[in-house]
Amino acid sequence: MTVTVKFWSYFRDLTECGETTVELTGGATLGELHAAVMEKFPKLTEMKNSTLKAVGVDYQDDNYVLNDGDEVSLFPPVQGG
Amino acid sequence: MKTQLTITPDPIGEATLVAERQLSENMGAVVVFHGIIRGEEAGESITSLDYEANEEMARHQFGLIFAAIEERWPVESVRLIHRVGIVSVNEPSLWVEVIAPHRAEAFTACQFLINEMKEKVPIWKRPK
Repeated sequence: MTVTVKFWSYFRDLTECGETTVELTGGATLGELHAAVMEKFPKLTEMKNSTLKAVGVDYQDDNYVLNDGDEVSLFPPVQGG
Repeated sequence: MKTQLTITPDPIGEATLVAERQLSENMGAVVVFHGIIRGEEAGESITSLDYEANEEMARHQFGLIFAAIEERWPVESVRLIHRVGIVSVNEPSLWVEVIAPHRAEAFTACQFLINEMKEKVPIWKRPK
């Protein structure tokens, strides 16, 4: 299955792109996707523990099972206000 | 509970917001908060901040926070404006208004809203 990953804030600088697509086997989790993305973009590894993850418009944890066509957002801690 | 959410690159026009305020006869408290850009960020002098939002998700997350407020306190309305793009020092990046029957719930709900926003709403800033 194919999942689209969007990067926000300075994650775009670290990856040098706004989004990418990742091929995963069926039943893959958000945590497995995150690991695959860090392998593709090693600079994200230093932010591993503070990375926030959303599928669509909702936050999800690493155990969330992804579906084909999901749109995932990865970003650093938020700073509104 | 009435809500109004605006995410905008335009300056916050408080005079207009105040002129448009609506409150029923039982409302005794209007709390307004301005979040202002400081001239220093992480120990460095700055002239402005550049805000970016994942707007679709930000709107959804604000909606969840508004729903949580409605469940907990007898708030009549919440209005929130957040700037995106460049905001200069001394200008507001955030304007929040909470209207409730009494000051305790108005202050508490306003504080809750801003705390939750700072944890969950996908908005980021970069010094300029």
